[in-house]
Amino acid sequence: MSLHDPAEGRAPAGFLRLLHFNWAILLLLIAVAAIGFVMLISVAGGSLQPWAGRQMLRFGIGLALMFTVAMIHVRFWRSLSVAAYLGSLVLLVAVELIGSVGMGAQRWIDLGFFHLQPSELMKITLVMALARYYDWLEPELVSRPLWVAVPVAMTLVPMALVLMQPDLGTALLLAAGAAMVMFLAGVSLWYFAAAGLAAVALVAAVFASQGTSWQLLHDYQFRRIETFLDPSTDPLGAGYHITQSTIAMGSGGLTGRGFMQGTQSRLNFLPEKHTDFIFTTLAEEFGFVGALALLGLYALIVIFGLASALTNRDRYGALLTGGITSTFFLYFAVNMAMVMGLAPVVGVPLPLVSYGGSAMLVLMGAFGLLQSAHVHRPR
Amino acid sequence: MTRRPLRPLAGVIRARRMGEDPDRIEAHRRAERLQALRAAERRRAEWRLTLLGFGIVVAFAATFLRMAAIAVSEPAEPAIAAADSPPAIARADITDRNGRLLATNILAHAIFSEPAWMVDPDAAAEGLARIFPDLDAEELKARFARKRFFFLRQAVTPEQMQAVHDLGEPGLKFAPREVRVYPAGRALAHVLGATGIRNADVDAAELRGTAGVELWFDDELSDPARPIGPDGRPQPLALSIDLTAQVALREILAAGMARTRARGAAGVVLDARTGAIIAMVSLPDFDPNRRPRDPADPRLFNRAAQGVYELGSTLKPVTAAMVMERGLAGPDTMVDATPFRWAGMRVTDIHRMPPRLSLARVIAESSNPATARLAILAGARAQRDILERLGFFGVSGVELPEAAQARPLLPPRWSDPYVITVSFGHGIAVTPLHLAAAYATMTNGGLRVRPTLRREAAPATEADRVLPAEVSRQLRAMLRLAVTEGTGKAADVPGYLVGGKTGTAEKIGPDGRYDPKRTLTTFAGIFPADDPAYVVVLTLDEASVEAHGRTWRTAGWTVAPLAGETIRRLAPILGVRPRPEPTPERAPTLIKVRN
Repeated sequence: MSLHDPAEGRAPAGFLRLLHFNWAILLLLIAVAAIGFVMLISVAGGSLQPWAGRQMLRFGIGLALMFTVAMIHVRFWRSLSVAAYLGSLVLLVAVELIGSVGMGAQRWIDLGFFHLQPSELMKITLVMALARYYDWLEPELVSRPLWVAVPVAMTLVPMALVLMQPDLGTALLLAAGAAMVMFLAGVSLWYFAAAGLAAVALVAAVFASQGTSWQLLHDYQFRRIETFLDPSTDPLGAGYHITQSTIAMGSGGLTGRGFMQGTQSRLNFLPEKHTDFIFTTLAEEFGFVGALALLGLYALIVIFGLASALTNRDRYGALLTGGITSTFFLYFAVNMAMVMGLAPVVGVPLPLVSYGGSAMLVLMGAFGLLQSAHVHRPR
Repeated sequence: MTRRPLRPLAGVIRARRMGEDPDRIEAHRRAERLQALRAAERRRAEWRLTLLGFGIVVAFAATFLRMAAIAVSEPAEPAIAAADSPPAIARADITDRNGRLLATNILAHAIFSEPAWMVDPDAAAEGLARIFPDLDAEELKARFARKRFFFLRQAVTPEQMQAVHDLGEPGLKFAPREVRVYPAGRALAHVLGATGIRNADVDAAELRGTAGVELWFDDELSDPARPIGPDGRPQPLALSIDLTAQVALREILAAGMARTRARGAAGVVLDARTGAIIAMVSLPDFDPNRRPRDPADPRLFNRAAQGVYELGSTLKPVTAAMVMERGLAGPDTMVDATPFRWAGMRVTDIHRMPPRLSLARVIAESSNPATARLAILAGARAQRDILERLGFFGVSGVELPEAAQARPLLPPRWSDPYVITVSFGHGIAVTPLHLAAAYATMTNGGLRVRPTLRREAAPATEADRVLPAEVSRQLRAMLRLAVTEGTGKAADVPGYLVGGKTGTAEKIGPDGRYDPKRTLTTFAGIFPADDPAYVVVLTLDEASVEAHGRTWRTAGWTVAPLAGETIRRLAPILGVRPRPEPTPERAPTLIKVRN
């Protein structure tokens, strides 16, 4: 993808690095973010306030962050991986403690210009740490039980912390992201089969616990799952999100109602229309064609990401790129599935499009890492 | 996999022969092996990446298909039938004896908030404060900010619900609620009682009785195993009340109360054979759909079943029954009616009487001295005995929780002065319902009846006999005489053979003495007198009538006309046919009694 063919075995230096950027991914990110701005303007009734303007500012900061991260050699990030993971873990514990002491169910740390959610940060630093781990580990040892247990523990600790918040969606995304990295690192497929079985058993246990004294989920979480299984049982209650979003998308038809013409979204039928359910607005106003366009952009980002991972001969770089791409895909896929009624409503934003600073900045930083790995890949 | 040796013997020997360093072979082999491992690792990584890519493509394809399916689907509003389905717990209706609805449930809605789903809590708070003026917007905002589920209202009208719905706030939700309504309104306020909401939840709430029939029959009404009627609802509870009679009685009493400027009124109509309560009214009353919240509100008091009063001369027939059953006197026995003193107490009449009266005339003219003499003749034990048999010693037993506390007030001891006062209805206080039941017992042939609100009340049988049939027959004739020629003339209605007795009791004033200006006037009657079908007991509290330039406070003036009007209206409703007066079986003969 680079515009300049460097000398064999030498990574570019200085501002030459800019030429070796994965420009395709960068342009795709900008395109997706632009769609997000348009949608935020639309749900605000044609105004930059209160969402689109701030979102643009954040995207600008995100871009700067991405470039900064990308310009630093991936070696540096590799050496920082474990520290970053431990740092996120400390922040998670801190939020858990502070949050439970005085600030209600607060999950973020106020950094002034935006709220940092440690659980967001953890999604990326976990991928970094796992990539570092498999980079360090002898390939023959990858599937040895003891050496599988280490990354599993590295995943379960932050997962448990996030579950205590309680944020089931993020916890599951963490697990899925870690599983993707382990899969790419070559862990034996038997482990994945076993984990799948365990997950099924856990789900069964969770449902068996409903109504007993050791109930594992909140009532509202059970309600969401039950409603997901049959939203029509409670169209005005807990099924409201899914029903309304399906109606909105259905009313979009092939080409949509047009910019700012979406009734379901504009008339406040739809809660969280600017965050988790923004895809609904898109589908209503730009129809199947618009939704498909966004779908295509996301697909291209994932494909270019995977291609970059495939061509990267550095193990850390390849795993990092693959992991970040997978995490990005998971965000997107879970949100889509949720909005379209294929998965329970778990509160996962649509990456780069949904309004929200924490996810946006973390994601842009992650793409900075991906770019760094791409630019500094061994040749 | 078979490993290639790092130092193959043949190769090492050949290298030595050629003069080369055998270590180079090992180094070369090592490099080869590492490269192979790397390549295998690489291939595996590539294969895994490709697999992941394939999985992602499948996911994209699924998303695409789902999106296409939604895009081609017809946009349709969600069916809201599910949310409006009736709550699981259904309380049975209450009907009158003819199946007319007295209490039923309508579906209303409770409003609750789930702040987690709210789009704009502040706007919702302000909107709610507009719809419900008693809600405070600031307070609501604070409650919404707490992010806790709570109920705003347990039952709202459809208009209010629509207004809340129009706020368009998905965090404000509605929970179905059964609300008890009383279509008959005030007419049955005291009988039916009230319900309250218990165990409120999002799906349903339980309606439980808190007063009246609703409380007494609470378990029956809310029994989930109650048989289901043809309309798919629990079979209604049928009361003995006749709604038409009830409404008519209430109207007459309310009008009479206004005309006589009375403070209160009570009325009971009883089936003389079964004790079934056909109508029971207490005034002043209230609308049970808007029941007063203050439990001390005087309107909540049921004067007919809950209030105990000295009912005065209406108790004289009991004394007559007592002496007749003991063979001490017959209807024609002449009794000394002159005033006398006994144990320091003067027993007189308020108006002039002949010095001697037959027993029938004693009742008709309501002579206190004559009644007192008869009571002394029979004695305290006989008096207590008959009062107990007629049910004056216990609660009335009617199916009302309020009545279960209404125990008659009895004399502290049965000394002669008390025997005398009790004989004409003073010094003993019972509910009008007690009196009605006693009249039914005395006139239906002597079979004890107990007042009941159940429609399926069975007629009293021989097992319930407390008085000889002959005594009962003679009492009927006396009561008839009291209406045709005695104090109850105003209650007579041609064709219905009304029999009855008036009673005027002075209330005890603030100074602890009887106050002639404040009376409780009662009429207890039967119709038709030859074969009584119904008993009517009416009471007015502090009634007075202006006539002939005087203020009248006696029952003959105040309440007897109301009784006549009641019977005139109720008899056709209750299916009692008017007929000519039968000729008396025998003329009263004068018999002297020992004095």
